[in-house]
Amino acid sequence: MDPVTASRLLFDAAAGLAILFACVMVVHRHPVKSVLALVVSFFALAVTYVLLSAPLIAAVQVIVYAGAILVLFLFVLMLLNVPEEIRQKSGRPIHQTLSAAAILVFAVALLATLRAHGSPGAVPGSPSAPADIRAVARLLFSEHLLSFEALSILLLAALVGSFCLARREGSS
Amino acid sequence: MIGDGIPLGDVLLASAALFMIGLAGVLLRRNAITIFLSIELMMNAANLTVLGYAASLHSLEGQVVVFFVIAIAAAEAAVGLAIFVALFRHTETIDVNRINLLKW
Repeated sequence: MDPVTASRLLFDAAAGLAILFACVMVVHRHPVKSVLALVVSFFALAVTYVLLSAPLIAAVQVIVYAGAILVLFLFVLMLLNVPEEIRQKSGRPIHQTLSAAAILVFAVALLATLRAHGSPGAVPGSPSAPADIRAVARLLFSEHLLSFEALSILLLAALVGSFCLARREGSS
Repeated sequence: MIGDGIPLGDVLLASAALFMIGLAGVLLRRNAITIFLSIELMMNAANLTVLGYAASLHSLEGQVVVFFVIAIAAAEAAVGLAIFVALFRHTETIDVNRINLLKW
């Protein structure tokens, strides 16, 4: 059994919180509350990223995911005025059965793979944070510069595409 | 940072659990917004795995990959939500069981 350290306890607590609120997100019938539960889950995930010595990614997670993407979801929900999902029997029970079976099979396969290959070597301690971010930035802007520029074009394309899609037809 | 001693097995288990929850949400829910949120959750589970292995292997490449994944997720969310807005204008619903025509 692995030794229990403070950071391991903290990691497990944060991961447990993320899993708990992910369950709340899936189960809840009100879409706005689903989004808010996912915000909490993503904050907990940011804590786990810090513990995995990725403070830059944790900051990006909070700013981009919890701050931008999920707020975008909230804005769209506000625009659409989506009603609460009504509990009803689906017309096709075969669909539900097959879905549950697929989830079970996938869970068993995943756990079997983890048992077979998940050699639990401990995640080693992190180097100091500022040097870490500097190294990531250097890697990003030297070796992956082309991908970075392609990414900016992708974001531009997404901007134009979403504008065209959401525009009212007939208004030019 | 806090220190070391997080077993990789814990990271992978948490990631697998999050991915399963996301998969269950995609397959079982009918609200398109919730399905989309579940997809985001699955992407985060994959990010957690990548970061766990990156920390375990002392590599910074993992952080770069996750950075790209998050940026692409932002683009995907913008386009997907625009599609939902356009869809809602046409059909007045985002229940995926009632959106069953490719052309309407």
